Amino acid sequence: MKDYDIIVVGGGHAGIEAASASARQGFSTLMITQSLDAIGRLSCNPAIGGLAKGNLVREIDALGGEMGHLIDISQIQFRMLNKSRGPAVQAPRAQADKFTYSRNAKELMEHTKNLELFMDTVVDFLVEKGKVIGVVTERGWKISSRAVVLTTGTFMEGRIFIGEYDAPCGRLGEMAAQGLGKALREKGFDVGRMKTGTPARVAASSLDYDEMEIQPGDEEIVPFSFMTDEVTRPQRNCYITYTNEETHKIIRENMHRSPLYGGKIVGKGPRYCPSIEDKVVRFPDRERHQIFVEPEGINTEEMYLNGLSSSLPEEVQRKFMRTLPGLRHCEIMRPAYAVEYDYLNPQDLLPSLESKHLENLFIAGQTNGTSGYEEAAAQGLMAGLNAGLKLRGEAPLILSRTEAYIGVLIDDLVTKGTKEPYRMFTSRAEYRLSLRHDNADQRLTRKAYEKGACDKERLEKLEEKLKAMDCVKELVKSYKERGKNGLALLKEPEITMDYISSHVAKLNDYPRYIRNEVELDIKYSGYLKRQEIEVDRFLKNESILIPDDFDYDALEGLSAESREKLKNIRPHSVGQAQRISGVRVSDIALLMIGVKSARKAKESENGSPE
Amino acid sequence: MEAYTTDEPIYALATAFAPSALSVVRTSGDNCIQMISKIFSSKKRLLEAKSKTLVHGYLQTLDGERIDEVVLSVYRKGQGYTGEEAVEISAHGSLSGLKRIFRALEDVGFRKAKRGEFTFRAFMHGRMDLTQAEAVEEIISSKSELSQAKALDRLEGRLRNRLEEYREKLLYILSSLEVQLDYAEDEIPEEWIFPEEEVDEIITGLERLLSSYDASSLYRDGAKIVLAGSTNAGKSSLFNLLMKENRAIVSSIPGTTRDYIEAWSDIRGIPIRLYDTAGLRESADEVESEGIKRSERLIEEADLILYLVDPIERKLPKEKRENMIILYSKSDIEKGEGLSISSQSGEGIEELFDEIEAFLTKGGRKLDDIVIDSERQRVELASTLETLRTVRALRRDTSVDVYALYFQSALEGIGAITGEVTNEELLDTLFSKFCVGK
Ligand SMILES: Cc1cc2nc3c(=O)[nH]c(=O)nc-3n(C[C@H](O)[C@H](O)[C@H](O)COP(=O)(O)OP(=O)(O)OC[C@H]3O[C@@H](n4cnc5c(N)ncnc54)[C@H](O)[C@@H]3O)c2cc1C
Repeated sequence: MKDYDIIVVGGGHAGIEAASASARQGFSTLMITQSLDAIGRLSCNPAIGGLAKGNLVREIDALGGEMGHLIDISQIQFRMLNKSRGPAVQAPRAQADKFTYSRNAKELMEHTKNLELFMDTVVDFLVEKGKVIGVVTERGWKISSRAVVLTTGTFMEGRIFIGEYDAPCGRLGEMAAQGLGKALREKGFDVGRMKTGTPARVAASSLDYDEMEIQPGDEEIVPFSFMTDEVTRPQRNCYITYTNEETHKIIRENMHRSPLYGGKIVGKGPRYCPSIEDKVVRFPDRERHQIFVEPEGINTEEMYLNGLSSSLPEEVQRKFMRTLPGLRHCEIMRPAYAVEYDYLNPQDLLPSLESKHLENLFIAGQTNGTSGYEEAAAQGLMAGLNAGLKLRGEAPLILSRTEAYIGVLIDDLVTKGTKEPYRMFTSRAEYRLSLRHDNADQRLTRKAYEKGACDKERLEKLEEKLKAMDCVKELVKSYKERGKNGLALLKEPEITMDYISSHVAKLNDYPRYIRNEVELDIKYSGYLKRQEIEVDRFLKNESILIPDDFDYDALEGLSAESREKLKNIRPHSVGQAQRISGVRVSDIALLMIGVKSARKAKESENGSPE
Repeated sequence: MEAYTTDEPIYALATAFAPSALSVVRTSGDNCIQMISKIFSSKKRLLEAKSKTLVHGYLQTLDGERIDEVVLSVYRKGQGYTGEEAVEISAHGSLSGLKRIFRALEDVGFRKAKRGEFTFRAFMHGRMDLTQAEAVEEIISSKSELSQAKALDRLEGRLRNRLEEYREKLLYILSSLEVQLDYAEDEIPEEWIFPEEEVDEIITGLERLLSSYDASSLYRDGAKIVLAGSTNAGKSSLFNLLMKENRAIVSSIPGTTRDYIEAWSDIRGIPIRLYDTAGLRESADEVESEGIKRSERLIEEADLILYLVDPIERKLPKEKRENMIILYSKSDIEKGEGLSISSQSGEGIEELFDEIEAFLTKGGRKLDDIVIDSERQRVELASTLETLRTVRALRRDTSVDVYALYFQSALEGIGAITGEVTNEELLDTLFSKFCVGK
């Protein structure tokens, strides 16, 4: 008898989703984390969502996850980004009260049925016959389970850097999880180092607000969760300021004191979220860089300086920060720092996020080389869900690139791996026109329900929405002008739903988000049809499945490099094989023929007709 | 599709199977050097030969009987045309000699290559991309030197380079769009401006490539030229003149040319298929009227009709078609108005060639640039072009996510032409062309 069905290691954003997905399926679940006070802590920026990330949050929610709900009850500013650039890519983003978020997360975990929390650090796994059967903790507990989900974030052998100072931490002031990285290396896992950084927090009362631009939130707040009807939260402003020549000069003069340039940090950092040192070096011609000043909460003094992450010594940080308008008198409360940590090569994972090395071990979050709360949560959810499905003896839920950003995220990770912290972008999703944030429930909730990942209530909510959308469509259709009905009219660029609503009063009985969604569906139907062609093309190769036991060594003519890669990744379809970088087109051709003849051979073995 | 082993030793004649001074027989596959050494006089030198070197000696039968004096070009694995171990045999070109060489090769375990199999192997071993593979296919089947030269160009990757140019331009446009989509308005406030000039440039370039298909199909398939005119107008004499050899029976009895005769030739480098038809007249003779029906069909399908008119009879065609050149024959006897020719003296033939060339190459159907020539490439290119035209025509207040959709699909389209993007269909097409599989 095992102590638990599923153990989740880590209480970050991946851990929260993994643990609750496991518990929701009815499995007895234990979350072991280093500090109960740090559950759901927002390590870096005080915001959830953003471009592509906002879509991830809504997909997580559609699949029964917690993040959407948590941000709805913790936010202090809402904005819909890139409205002008098209409905398919606009995405919600909310500033969070960090402390509220974290407290809500902890309380949610505490009140989740089937879930227990325990404060300790996991230092090793219990392994039997190639399967993980439990964990060993720092304080010497051996706890057994049928499956383990690992979500160590920036903590596994973490080390932080501030100029010449460094310390074994996962976040400033929080101990790193030491021992596990070493144990995993010994077990043959492909462990690497990555780094990321965070800017300083300064005291709100030390800022000169009249020198900065105000950035208010939107009037209209769209909830992240499909289950939230209305968000009623106090709202706060953010501010914008800029660096200048003086700032850049100070940074340049002190560059040699950065651990990054001194070679102390070996891990690879993200290109798209560079430290201010990086920006100054890489874009010497830029006269200024934009900095967002964001409150970390409703009542806290701490203000986050988005865009100023740095690992320079504290006195240098203070000096360059005080050159920015609005920050001339700023007082640092927490310094900026960089963190370097162990990650595990995600190419060693199956698309279910189960390890190829160790059965029943699922891995999620920053441990897989990603960065960002939303990326972590998305993986955590899928890992927790698939661990449960595995225990039930069911096929894992694997989302396709065509149906969810989560599908893109996981496929990219397990197929291509990553050399720098992986962040979600809309451009990574080939079929993003249909991956809108507002239709995530239509894309995913039914699937989740069938797998037992969400409750009936969520499905009913979706059905209600679909019904309402149908009614709206009927009402739109009933409107006539110039011999055309409303559906045809809406396809014209000048005609909006508001215009039609002004003529069909009954439409106003339906909530705005429903009307918006119908409007987009109609306006985009032509483009979506076009995208369908591409999707079909894509799905053709996805549907040529490669048997699990396919023998690449027996496939003559494969180049040595491709053979190595294919054997390593073991793609489940020819489509996936094609996305492995460095595998040649001609090798894909060979593979197609090989797979087909293997299938034929099997068929004739079984005596079925051609 | 059958499982296709690529390393089986195969041979094929690389030059034409016709009497000539020199013929080249290619072999390829695992162990082929060792196998040939069994039928070669200087075994040791061959076995020790470095890659890309020549070995001189005699090919002989297994019994040691000399067949021919030859030069072998030796390629170790990874170096030759196919990427496999390979030997090219340059032999004297007598037909009987070649037959004996083939037999000797089969005796030591080679099999005759299927059509295009060498190319298939080269593709499979990553020695060439799709456009190159198709170029080889083209060389094999091309009918004139000019089109072979074009195919050779492509073998060197000129088409791919050109497409690569467009691909990069599209990629640049697309990335300027993606930046807008990946970053928020407050980070990158600039609005995206449709790069009309760049897009037009790509469109024009692709249009030119696309029209090259017509030209290249002209050069590959040849132009169908049908000789028509009343019986006795002198069609067969002209046919013979054009063919420069006596293939058709020339006779002055009406109806001698019972059916039509077809022959290949070329005019100013353009391959032509010339048809001499039976005279167009009502006939009671059953065989002949069948022939007449067939000639009528031929005329329907012709690229160009040369309508011969006897200058004395002056029987003009009932309907003048657009693709018809009226030509007076027998100018040595009497001159007609307009284009006149004498098949006896050859007078007027250059003027006729000028006319034919001008007609066939009008509208840019001239092979003077990079061309595409497979139907597959044409279809992909046409749809890419269509995509770009559509995006070009979109209202300028269309949102960037929609623009991105079109540019993305244009980019994919170009990838599909060069074969960077593979899909099953494409491979199926390719393989069927290369006769792989059942
Ligand atoms: C300094 C810094 C800068 C960052 N910068 C950015 C950025 O610029 N952009 C961005 O998108 N994201 C950034 N982040 C990353 C963001 O915080 C993470 O992506 C996200 O929190 C990852 O979630 P997670 O669940 O994978 O891990 P975390 O949120 O790190 O949570 C891991 C949890 O697991 C616990 N844990 C770890 N190992 C063990 C163990 N062995 N036993 C028990 N408990 C364990 C930890 O104590 C922690 O509570 C940054 C993080 C840090 C620390």
